[in-house]
Amino acid sequence: MGTGVFRQRNGMVAVDVVAACGVLTPGQLSGLSRKLEELEAFRVKLTSRQTMVVVLAEEKAQALIEALPALDLVLSPYGDVIRAVKACAGNAALCPRSTGEALDLGIELQKKYLGRQAPKDFKIAVAGCYRGCVDPHCADFGVVAVGKDVFDVIIGGYGGSAKPLHGKLIARKVTTGAVYAVLDHVLERFSALAQPGEKLGRAISRLGLGAFMPPDELVNCSVETDNNEFKKFLLSGQ
Amino acid sequence: MEQLRKTDEINPAVLQALLEKICRSCDLLDTTDCKESSCLVGFSKKVLNFAAQKGMLDIPGAAGLIPAGDFKPYYPETVAPVLAETCRQCKECRDNHSPDCVVALVRTAMEHTVLPEAITYPGSVFMYLATIKSHDATLATMLAEALKKRA
Repeated sequence: MGTGVFRQRNGMVAVDVVAACGVLTPGQLSGLSRKLEELEAFRVKLTSRQTMVVVLAEEKAQALIEALPALDLVLSPYGDVIRAVKACAGNAALCPRSTGEALDLGIELQKKYLGRQAPKDFKIAVAGCYRGCVDPHCADFGVVAVGKDVFDVIIGGYGGSAKPLHGKLIARKVTTGAVYAVLDHVLERFSALAQPGEKLGRAISRLGLGAFMPPDELVNCSVETDNNEFKKFLLSGQ
Repeated sequence: MEQLRKTDEINPAVLQALLEKICRSCDLLDTTDCKESSCLVGFSKKVLNFAAQKGMLDIPGAAGLIPAGDFKPYYPETVAPVLAETCRQCKECRDNHSPDCVVALVRTAMEHTVLPEAITYPGSVFMYLATIKSHDATLATMLAEALKKRA
């Protein structure tokens, strides 16, 4: 597994720092800021994967990397691994449009899967609704909240390509637990079936979606949204 | 600096006040037969209350609970101002329109009060007005008047 440290054309290095799907506490932010001032970092760039790229002198990169664990931050893995998870602001505290706790799920997925080996880089995006601020159709594994603890799962998308491809819906209205089970299944199939360096979407195009579909028992846990909190509220007081 | 739209900018109080006006002309008000879950206006009020309590603008599955079987008589004169207010508060999400959006739920429920069926929302206010006109020209005129009043 590679790490997110890249030599730049200006002679400096860029260190890719991962937070909890881009969420930082004020303490983390100020702690990182103090460290970066101490190390005379040149610039910090927020990335499309919700990580931070710190550009600084090469001889100071190691000191930054060593300081990350104390700030509850992680050096980004790189290469053919599961990358930092992109999750939107979708949770009760941060987005009124969110239909479920997407951010919380994204953070937990990142904790569990970040850096795991895969045949090709594997990107996960978790959105709180179908507005899809984190482009779940353009991820290898996209998750969209469609209710409280109810998610749709899309696989095989990729956006960063001259020939981008939208993913395909493989599970509808499944629970959080089923999202994990489907992800494990897809990763297992991807590792078993993909050619070296082949993106999941390309493997699906070559082999067909069926080769990656989760078994029924994993996705037949569809949640009936009729039985939701609003229905109880609507019928209350009558 | 350009004024940015905020996701919490819908104003449920204005909609609530207009819905209360409809209730005041209802024979069932304050009787044991007043049941919000089976009344299009009551449903709309519940939607707004729930959304305000939860701080959310989408209620998954709520569109399926609209009491389309409420055939009480409603009057376009009182319904048009509510529809106009939903037009004002609509964020015109276009492709991302959700039928479970709070504004869409109130609008759909109100359509059921005066139209034979709800309209498939075309995603923008302008196109909506044109669609209403094709269904009911009188209602479209009232809606346009109501929109002008507070524009």
